[in-house]
Amino acid sequence: LADRGHIGLKACLAVWHNQAFLGAAEFRFNGEKSELQRLAASVERFCREQPLGEGAEFDLNLVLEELFVNAVEHGGCKGMDDAVRIRMETAAGGVRVTFEDRGAAFDPAGAPAPDLRAPLEERQPGGLGLHLVRTLARDLQYERAGEWNRVTLVLR
Amino acid sequence: MIQVNEESRSGWCILAVSGRADAEAAEDLENRLRGAVERHSQVAADFTALDYISSAGLRAVLQAARAAEQRGVRFAVCSPNAGVRRVFDISGLGQVLTIQGELPC
Repeated sequence: LADRGHIGLKACLAVWHNQAFLGAAEFRFNGEKSELQRLAASVERFCREQPLGEGAEFDLNLVLEELFVNAVEHGGCKGMDDAVRIRMETAAGGVRVTFEDRGAAFDPAGAPAPDLRAPLEERQPGGLGLHLVRTLARDLQYERAGEWNRVTLVLR
Repeated sequence: MIQVNEESRSGWCILAVSGRADAEAAEDLENRLRGAVERHSQVAADFTALDYISSAGLRAVLQAARAAEQRGVRFAVCSPNAGVRRVFDISGLGQVLTIQGELPC
């Protein structure tokens, strides 16, 4: 019995230990494309602190840039102070991302998919960014919360 | 931010692109690639030192590839790293563009 208790304690300590090191970070951005540099620097720092590998950093950057640029260029966030809030947290087997923007209501999960088999001359420029987001993200969910669009997703 | 170095080798114009091909750098990248397409008959974009690309960067490459096709210019994307290559593949551009592991010369 003492032995089992010991294992239980060790398991508890392991859980506590992991939680102590589970990290989360929150950032706010203005609705300017020039904020992409600060976004990339924030992602880099978060990945270094966790730590997460280069692949995870690439995907985080990509998903966040696509959502951010979409909000600024198509969602009406251009020129808006504190237009975007981003939260990243390490979760079991990945990174949970919450992306919020004060643009027009828009559900990225419902956007039409681009025609990926179209020949070069027929390629439409739009839609690629959100296609990348939908391909990389798991558990992509959207809700409108007051004046905010809230997108949550998980990257593995 | 991207940096582009241009050189000519064995009939090819080789553009070595380094840095991040994000939405801020996309216009610059497109202008550099299209500029080369307008002046040369064979253009290779060397992506060996390209760390990152987003859909905006992909569009820049796509526009340059289209311009090349219209002018009958050979256009190749060379040696992207695994992450960049994956973005090309997910977008479907990996099938319509010439992407090769090594430079043509």
